[in-house]
Amino acid sequence: MKLSAIRPVALLLARELIITALLLLGVSLVVFIVLYLSPGDPFSQLIATQQATGPSQPKTSDALQTFSAFQQYLIWLTHLLQGDFGASLRTGLPVLNEIVRVGINTLYLTIGSMLVTLLVAVPVALSSARRGMTMLNWPFTMFAYIISALPVFWLGYVVIYIFLHKFNLFPIIFGFSNNQKLSWLYFLLPIFVLGIGNGTLSEIVRYLREEMGRVLAEDYIRIARAKGASIWKHAFKEGFLLPVTEIIAAKIPFILGGAVVVEQVFNWPGMGRMAWQAAQDRDYPVIMGIAIMAALIVRCGSLLQRVVSIVVNPRASRT
Amino acid sequence: MMKHYQQQHTDIGEFSDISFWKKTDKLDLVYVSYGLVIVVAVIVSYILGTFNWLPYDPQEIDLELMMGLPGEGGHLLGTDFLGRDILTRLIVGIQAYFLPGLLAISIALIFGTLFGVLAGYWGGRFDTIITYGSNLVDSFPRLVLILLMIAAFKPDIYYIMVVVGITNVPVVTSLIKGRILLLKQQNFIEAATAIGLRDNVIIFKHILWFNCRTILIIQATLGMAEAILMETSLSYLGFGVQEPTPSWGNMVQSGANYLLKGKLWLSSAPALAILLTILGFHLLGDGLNNILERRRNGQAI
Repeated sequence: MKLSAIRPVALLLARELIITALLLLGVSLVVFIVLYLSPGDPFSQLIATQQATGPSQPKTSDALQTFSAFQQYLIWLTHLLQGDFGASLRTGLPVLNEIVRVGINTLYLTIGSMLVTLLVAVPVALSSARRGMTMLNWPFTMFAYIISALPVFWLGYVVIYIFLHKFNLFPIIFGFSNNQKLSWLYFLLPIFVLGIGNGTLSEIVRYLREEMGRVLAEDYIRIARAKGASIWKHAFKEGFLLPVTEIIAAKIPFILGGAVVVEQVFNWPGMGRMAWQAAQDRDYPVIMGIAIMAALIVRCGSLLQRVVSIVVNPRASRT
Repeated sequence: MMKHYQQQHTDIGEFSDISFWKKTDKLDLVYVSYGLVIVVAVIVSYILGTFNWLPYDPQEIDLELMMGLPGEGGHLLGTDFLGRDILTRLIVGIQAYFLPGLLAISIALIFGTLFGVLAGYWGGRFDTIITYGSNLVDSFPRLVLILLMIAAFKPDIYYIMVVVGITNVPVVTSLIKGRILLLKQQNFIEAATAIGLRDNVIIFKHILWFNCRTILIIQATLGMAEAILMETSLSYLGFGVQEPTPSWGNMVQSGANYLLKGKLWLSSAPALAILLTILGFHLLGDGLNNILERRRNGQAI
């Protein structure tokens, strides 16, 4: 590739990076405003715990009262950027370490369930994009509607019930089983439930079908067909890669939100359960850290999606 | 090419020789009528609950008849683990989300339309700011944002629904904006400006009323489904309506222990109510969308 071709791509990528950084700054501002406005001045407590664990000089929460809101925000943000999210009010442990520790479990859960969703959605979407609406995919459409209206917590209990009674497997507790051979099952059930029940399935099918259908109707696909070239190869980038990355990036927040509920049902020790516990206890540092982490994950996902779309089609990404 | 041509030209008017019934997919009509039945049922149940016209007292405990099956002892949908009538509790449970849901919808529609018009009609700097604002709101998983609010303020359901409404604003904004950008390519807005119509007439009459009301109706139905899902999830997690006041979410939650012991009906009844209601709102929205939007564009999907 010539330098002149790389440069605009690099510029676009730099622009996306800056936008992501600005949005993350906005995220921190939103979280700050929420905590700052909440009654009982939790924010000073929060900064006090930050400094208890952090590297900089200690300040008491009384001393913080004398600072203006903006100064408090700056102090908080500098700590945040150094990776100091403060300490949990309940356990006293540093928040960031805790989030990273349980975040891995949530990552397994969300990535696994995303894969499950795609494994169901992609074949259906592709086959119906190619052949149009047939009698075969009408029942599936109906099934997808019902699945996305199903309350995921009830689905979780029903799945547990089925495995408990019909297959005589119990107890369903994460990471613990008296039968080592079956521990993979306890691991897979929540992933499966979240993948099916996160309510995004029908939307993903519809989106992929429309995008693929649109690309298959393009002139260049007709030409490829006419000269006998592989259609899938020609339609892959525009009709598959871009829509799939787009829909994944757009659905990350929904999957993370669904994880809160599913982790509750299955006692899965992840970020969602931690967020639930923190909201119960009004443990501000923890819930703040999780909100920022979740937003970070969402923004990184959408940054990746932008990178893919810029690399695949630099011309269309220019604004 | 052909498809492109159709998109450009059938959008201008709704005049067509083909009658409404002929060009409408019968399946969409089934969807819409099912959805309407659900909407009517929800509204009627809400009114019944408000005026307390109920078959039983929702709190009345009957230890003689615990976990009765449907139809047992005159209870149409059976009784729960304290012998309370499930049908009555389902009807009263609608109180938990109906008005808050309407609040969430109104916020999403009003602000979504406002920002959509600002970004689409005037564009420029408004567009940039609103796009970044939307991205910012979209950065938070909705449930996490609500849990943050709960930790900070211990808000009641109305404030939570304000947050749900705000998180729905970007969707409405982008739809309205997209529609306006599409309309701007056709020349009737230019023509309206040329004959001296004021901006507010063009926006309210020609853009919003003639061309965007279906989007808003559809978003309202989907928004209600969203609100129900949110309210039931929160009550399930224990942050919404608390026992003994019934809500569909806390009914599923309190029945779940019995579910694992084999009493499926206790939590399945409210779960089915959630399922059928959300399904109704989704099908209503999608059916209306297919009938009013896609068919109008001459695309058969």
